[in-house]
Amino acid sequence: MQTNPHRWFGAGQSSAADAAKAGAEAAAEAIGGRSAKAVFVFCSVAYDLPELLAAVRAEAGPHASIVGGTTMGELGNAGMTVGGLAVAALGGDGFTVHVRAAAIDPHEPRAAGAQVAEALRGLHDPNRVLILFCDGMSGRPNEIVRGAYSTIGAAWPMVGGFAADDRHFERTFQFCDDEVRTGSVVGLALGSDGPIGIGMAHGWRRTEPPMVVTKSQGPHVYLLDGEPALDVLLRRNNFDGTADEFFERGRALQPLGLSRRNGEDIRVIHGGDDEERSVWGAADVPQGALVWLMEADRQALLDGATWSCTEAIAGLDGLAPLGVLAFDCGGRRAGLVEGGMQEEIDTMRTALNDAPFAGFYTTGEIARVDGGSGLHHLTLVTLALA
Amino acid sequence: MLTWSTHLLTEYFTAVNAAEDEETAIASAVERATEMVEAETGAVVREGRVLGAYGFGGTVPEAGLLAVAAGESLLDVPQVGELHAVANPLGGENADALIVCRDGEAFGAEERQMLQGMAQVLGLALRSIRVLAAERHLRAEKERQATTAQTRQRLVESLLTIQRAISARRPLPEILDAVTGGAAELLHGDATVALLLAEGGPDRRLSVASTCGRTEGGPVHEAAARAAMTGGSALISTDGVGTVIAAPVRVTGEMAGSLVAQLPGDADQYAEQRDHLDAFAQQVSLALTDARTVEAVREAHHDPVTGLPNRALFLKILNRVLASRGTETDPTSVLFIDLDRFKAVNDSLGHEAGDQLLALVARRLRSCVRASDTTARLGGDEFAALLHDSPVEAATVVGGRIVASIKEPFRVAGREVFIGASVGIATSREPVERSEALLDNADVAMYRAKKEGPGRVLVYEPYMHTEALDHLSLRGDLQRALREGEFRVQYQPLIRLADGAPTGVEALIRWHSPTRGFVSPVDFIPIAEEFGLIVDIGQWVLETSAAQVARWRRHFPDLGLNVNVSGHQLVHPRFADNVMRALAIAGLPSSAVTLELTESVLMSEPDLGKAALHVLRGLGVQLSIDDFGTGYSSLAYLRELPVDELKIDRAFIARAELTGEDLALVRTIVELAQILGLRTVAEGIENAAQLTALRRLGCAYGQGYHLYRPADPGDLPARLAARLVEDPVG
Repeated sequence: MQTNPHRWFGAGQSSAADAAKAGAEAAAEAIGGRSAKAVFVFCSVAYDLPELLAAVRAEAGPHASIVGGTTMGELGNAGMTVGGLAVAALGGDGFTVHVRAAAIDPHEPRAAGAQVAEALRGLHDPNRVLILFCDGMSGRPNEIVRGAYSTIGAAWPMVGGFAADDRHFERTFQFCDDEVRTGSVVGLALGSDGPIGIGMAHGWRRTEPPMVVTKSQGPHVYLLDGEPALDVLLRRNNFDGTADEFFERGRALQPLGLSRRNGEDIRVIHGGDDEERSVWGAADVPQGALVWLMEADRQALLDGATWSCTEAIAGLDGLAPLGVLAFDCGGRRAGLVEGGMQEEIDTMRTALNDAPFAGFYTTGEIARVDGGSGLHHLTLVTLALA
Repeated sequence: MLTWSTHLLTEYFTAVNAAEDEETAIASAVERATEMVEAETGAVVREGRVLGAYGFGGTVPEAGLLAVAAGESLLDVPQVGELHAVANPLGGENADALIVCRDGEAFGAEERQMLQGMAQVLGLALRSIRVLAAERHLRAEKERQATTAQTRQRLVESLLTIQRAISARRPLPEILDAVTGGAAELLHGDATVALLLAEGGPDRRLSVASTCGRTEGGPVHEAAARAAMTGGSALISTDGVGTVIAAPVRVTGEMAGSLVAQLPGDADQYAEQRDHLDAFAQQVSLALTDARTVEAVREAHHDPVTGLPNRALFLKILNRVLASRGTETDPTSVLFIDLDRFKAVNDSLGHEAGDQLLALVARRLRSCVRASDTTARLGGDEFAALLHDSPVEAATVVGGRIVASIKEPFRVAGREVFIGASVGIATSREPVERSEALLDNADVAMYRAKKEGPGRVLVYEPYMHTEALDHLSLRGDLQRALREGEFRVQYQPLIRLADGAPTGVEALIRWHSPTRGFVSPVDFIPIAEEFGLIVDIGQWVLETSAAQVARWRRHFPDLGLNVNVSGHQLVHPRFADNVMRALAIAGLPSSAVTLELTESVLMSEPDLGKAALHVLRGLGVQLSIDDFGTGYSSLAYLRELPVDELKIDRAFIARAELTGEDLALVRTIVELAQILGLRTVAEGIENAAQLTALRRLGCAYGQGYHLYRPADPGDLPARLAARLVEDPVG
């Protein structure tokens, strides 16, 4: 078969219905007979997950670390799948891999983030990154990311994604070696003697005028500028009907941009209550915050994908990318309906110069390069390795 | 201006104030601040320590952060590089600061301003948490003490043995053997203990004064003993044989030697024993000091200024005299002497002259009594004389002699000084008499004498006692005052500073007693609270002022009423009902009424009154925090209670010209109020400069002599109308 180069990266996909078959197919394509150090598995909750992991393990051999999670869709060079599987693998002497997992204590979610970030300790490679796979239903994603940052600090970047369960919003799973976990954070610390690049972009823009969140609690928004939040969204969208009708008829998400120093911190609003006239999303919308409704057309979103990939590759000191891990927001799909998804994949392929890539649609993306905050929404985060 | 930064403050404020302990508040503040300005790292420097460091990973550059707190604007972070740093003071007395550090772009003016605000919010939160934590700590400390009770018990028993040896006047070697024996017992079994004491002379040679468990010829450990004496605390070290612990012993504060223990094995197992030996040595120091300072005991019973016996010794002597009386009819008289105008001399000529004068007074007192009588200085400008076998007539003659003698001029600090004395006399005839009671009676008589004018001598009569318990009689007076309608209410307007319009009045209770004259609320309110009369008095004020303001509202329809509420009222089970009843009878809408509570009341009754306040708030009554900033200024209660208004205490604007610090404090309170959506009222505005400053700071309302003095209800409408035309503010 192939020789084992100093650093290598491969990707594979499958949409086979059988877990064992899908696992074997995608893993074989990604690993290609090489000796893998890490295998990344992104798949639908619909699979028999232990069976799928066993099939991947059979291909990866006993020494590879296996990490990943369930998704809201998978992506790779071959395109986007829903209910399928995408696998990435890397290996070679130039990479070092440490893996840790921790259960999320609902009262102290940051502890799990802090614990898994310890995986970075003991790495001595000149370039390092922490890759996180987190449960998407824990309710306090910000705290998990802060926990990880509190351990690793500003010296090293982190990326990752919050797992999903197709579109059920009930229970998500994380993978750590041969274990299928839920309510967990899995961290893979990757060290490399080659450069690492990270990109992120969303492509959304503000629609004026801004509004003040006059009443909110956690992810629930009750009043915007003193007016019931649902009424505001319906009015601004010229929509006449119930909340369910609004969020199900192609308006499945309403991005709210929180005013921040360098632009907007986006929150996805995906539900509403006709009685309370309130709306809600997946993460906190703080009372007192200044927000804009965000809008995007297909081209702007595609431009965002290009920008994210370009930025990641720009971090590779002029080297060609070996491969890319992608964490794409499940919400972006709503803005890219009717063929848009395939266009996004094409855009990424072009921007990455046909380097192998694999990733998944998340319920929240993690990327921290500058500054202290690392949680994003409606964003495409890419990690490029050379 | 609609900017990203100001809108972040509310988010931040909510997060920081949700914290219940300092660590959480600091961590939350640092993280939010760091994220909000998109900085990489942050920390708090508090009392010289780095806390809540965030974004540094494993290694926190503490020295660099301290330098930033001291003014440095760059911070070198390992593996990250040089970051722009800014320290934002937390307020308060220390150079405490919230620090954030960012790569790339330096912090702009607007960001700095926001960070200042964030730091002040954190400072306030920390100060209020610390007050709460102090209360909790006391409880924890008690528990900790209980766990070490056994060790303490052993320590106490050993010390008691030593004390017994000392008080039984055992020979010194025996006392010292008790010391080393006690120490050995405290350290258990295998320890050998020696007490090394320094001899007199220039070289302070150490010699072994006592040993316990030591075989002859063992090592002396003089070096360890000296090291402990030099360092002033217990030391632990190892030698070839085992571990040596040395703890210094002081006598009358001076280093006198060391208690040295030799134990088998390594030093690391004996940290606890070191602490025990140190504690024991300290206790032994006290015991030895006591044994060696018989002379000092005498000093402790005499007043150093006059050389006369002090109060404690005087009472002992009096006891002895009373107990040794031959017959019940032997009268013993006590004179209580208080100097008139002494304080004026002390204040004008200084303490040294005051002390000189006291010494001269003592000499004259002695010359007025027999050699066998006892004179004493009780404290301050109070003296006493004990005349045994002296009937009341004879004592009165002595009292007159003393008054005449003290009236003669004294020569102090090169000038003539005139003072006087009042004397009270109590004579014992009872078979059993307590010395304290006799002295107290003389005191009561002196108090009465002083009231009748200077230079009097009065003999104690039982009626005087009743009178002395004056504050008890106040209770009856207050009840009568309420019954007979002696209270009245004055009103002081609250002014909207923007246009000078009066928006409300504060009701202030006044009492003119037919027997006592004008009595200040400061004097009678505590007594009314003590005897539970405050509930009725408070209700009367509320009913009276509500009816009055309801009448005024026919001409001034928007006029509001502020009424002070005592903690005793707040916890009264019918408080909310009483308030609503008073308003209903008066016909005053609840929205026109603001109840003022002091911070201390809210802190002392955090839960009891809360329900009533929420009920009242639900019915439209507003709540104001009086004297804000003087107490705990706990943000917790601002969050939990339905507060509408903060009254900034007059102490903050007491200076005729406000300093930068005054202004910063007031600004913080005003900004805090704005964040929370509360009104601010500045109390005690006494001049135009203060008024201008407060308006500029954005304080919305004010109260004070410069605006309106408190007025009788009859005078107020005319004044309100007049000032409306004049506009006192513009």
